[in-house]
Amino acid sequence: MVATVTSCAVPSEGQADLPSFAEAVDAHKAMVFSIGWHFLRDRPAAEELAQEVFLQLYRNWSGMKSRDHVVFWLRKVTSHRAIDVVRRRKMHPEMSLEEAAEPTVLERMQDSLLASYLERMVASLPEKQRMAVVLRYQEDMSPEEIAQVLEMKASSVKTLISRGLELLRAKTSRRLGESDHRIRHDTV
Amino acid sequence: MTPFEEEVKKALSRHEPPAGFADRVLARAREQDRKQAARTGGWLRRLRSWRLVPVLAALMVMTGGIVYQEHEREARGEAAKQQLLLAMRIAGSKLHDAQLVVREVEQ
Repeated sequence: MVATVTSCAVPSEGQADLPSFAEAVDAHKAMVFSIGWHFLRDRPAAEELAQEVFLQLYRNWSGMKSRDHVVFWLRKVTSHRAIDVVRRRKMHPEMSLEEAAEPTVLERMQDSLLASYLERMVASLPEKQRMAVVLRYQEDMSPEEIAQVLEMKASSVKTLISRGLELLRAKTSRRLGESDHRIRHDTV
Repeated sequence: MTPFEEEVKKALSRHEPPAGFADRVLARAREQDRKQAARTGGWLRRLRSWRLVPVLAALMVMTGGIVYQEHEREARGEAAKQQLLLAMRIAGSKLHDAQLVVREVEQ
């Protein structure tokens, strides 16, 4: 049976825990869009990606078993599609960390600037490393959960995250100077 | 989580998508449904079209012809089999008669 926006409003047998499709879009749009945004750093591309992911979810709605299944499915499909987008379009915002633009005016960055700076630095990490960091810190997922989504070993995910953090810390530390306590007292 | 990780987490907080995002998704889903329905409906309409009647009639005649030919071939085969069995029965009967005559002559 083909799902329709109307038929998706009522969970079928075996989907008792499921929200309607419209509710699922509303509940998870920030998650899906943000994964795309932090990965691509391009709002129109992130929105297009998020729409495509939800349309794919719509086509596969009859296969959804529960709310958790929907969340897992969305994270997985969004991650893989985002990586595909970068690979296909050669949209690499993946400049090296050395090339990434740095704030030049301020001696010390305020919190909002630091956040914005880190956001840009994350977007400059290599694809898999970037996605692992986004899922770890945006979605608060464990390395084991990320491993399932990215179809990798948990140990590889831990290495990716650890190296990603090292790169981010090195760059940020250089920018902020050794006096910044957030960086100075930080150890991994 | 270390203080630096806390900073990364803060930097990677979720963003809301542009306004009207959910409406656009639902509109595209409805459009997808409409296209799907149009594809199915279009095919059914074509099936009902009068232009297909001669094609369907020709297909039926061809199919009927093939079935009839097959039936004829089977009937001819069955008749040939019956004729062969009859011929064998007659030959057997004649042979039996001949054997009886030979035995009478020998005695």
